[in-house]
Amino acid sequence: MFPSGRRLDRATALFISLLAVGFLIATFDVRASGDSATTVLRGGAQALAEPIQGGIDFLVRPVVGFVDGISNVAGLRDQNERLEAEVQRLEARLRETAALERRVAELEAINDLAPPEGLASVTARIYSSGTSTFDQVRFINKGSSDGIIAGQAVIDESGLVGRVDLVTGSSARVRLITDPLVSVGVRIQDTNQTGAVTGRGDDVLQLDMFDATAPATEGSVLITDGSRFPPGVVVGFVRETKEANVGFALRTTVNPAAVFTELDFVKIVVGWSPLDADPETGDPLIDPPSFTDPGQELQ
Amino acid sequence: MTSGRIVIALGLVMGAVLIQTTVFQHVKPFGYAPALGLLATIATSRYLNPEPALFVGFSGGFLQDLLGGSPLGLWACTFTVIVFITLKIRDREVAGPIAVLTGVFGLTFIGQSTYAVLGTLFGQGIIGRPGLVWDLIVPSIYNVVLAYPVFWLTRAGVRPKERTWVT
Repeated sequence: MFPSGRRLDRATALFISLLAVGFLIATFDVRASGDSATTVLRGGAQALAEPIQGGIDFLVRPVVGFVDGISNVAGLRDQNERLEAEVQRLEARLRETAALERRVAELEAINDLAPPEGLASVTARIYSSGTSTFDQVRFINKGSSDGIIAGQAVIDESGLVGRVDLVTGSSARVRLITDPLVSVGVRIQDTNQTGAVTGRGDDVLQLDMFDATAPATEGSVLITDGSRFPPGVVVGFVRETKEANVGFALRTTVNPAAVFTELDFVKIVVGWSPLDADPETGDPLIDPPSFTDPGQELQ
Repeated sequence: MTSGRIVIALGLVMGAVLIQTTVFQHVKPFGYAPALGLLATIATSRYLNPEPALFVGFSGGFLQDLLGGSPLGLWACTFTVIVFITLKIRDREVAGPIAVLTGVFGLTFIGQSTYAVLGTLFGQGIIGRPGLVWDLIVPSIYNVVLAYPVFWLTRAGVRPKERTWVT
């Protein structure tokens, strides 16, 4: 970079200066918390970009859907075969349904698992994703004016999607559970064993159970345990059976219930954020907003 | 160099970042998206003077940081590094599509790798993720595919009337 005898040219000096500025900003951003300057800057940029991104998304979505449909035709035959196999498998499982339902009801009663449907929620549409392959975030078109605050759980019809981690007036950023920075306290529904699911950055999650006494079997349903997210929300399904060994943590992989490539509309569960829950009882400290008055102020 | 060309270059890079966050949230062949912002930065760096090119790269990367989920400044540093490398090699560019496409692949791969290292240093845990190699390679391949339309657009908007390679 600096051949001997040659002066440090202006471009090289500028390059080094910009790198230094970038490192300083990154250090400041990592160390900052709460409403720091970088958070305000990021929120402002997202508020400015949201109408443009929403417009592009509005224009592109139908075209992409059409093209996507055409490109999927070739794969429909394989999908059909897979679905036939899946139907056969599900028919077999249906025979176990009655017993399973009784067991689930019993477990819910024992653990006081309130169904997530009992919590108020705000529906939002995803209008943007992260800026790179490494980003495990989505942006939604609802913000603090709709009662959204950082920490709230985001779900869709399949299960847990992520949590809100940055909010502006009219939009919010959702960090997906596939992000390595997100950890979810979970319970295996059929054994009642607890553990933590952490993102790995890809489409598979990692389950760690430190006091497991029963194996985690393939296909077992994992639900939130109610510590940081509302209880009873489906998180995923165990991919690989692992035995519990005394003195060793049980570690296995999990398929998330939500399909992150097909996210469109999501629901934000309001009234259960760690920020607004009673630390002792776990009860929400605030009244959930009315569905007829989504603009109600929560704070 | 006119400021108009710099503004156009900045607009192209920022437009690419916005398209990245919208169009490519839906279009993800095999689960991966191209690194369009990086590609636009490489393309504009071929025609701008060094200082404006570095500013455009840093600004585009900073916008990518603002609209993403990683700490601010990481993409800004990454884009700046890629611009600097592009500036160093553009005069040695061998004519022909193979050389250009190889350059795009290599620069995108270096950019993705640089971000992976920086992201890991700043606590994002990128290195060590399963499938990281594919996260680096596939967007680079997609960028090669998209190189010609992006380069054509950049050439139309940013290239000087009489090409002046800057020393």
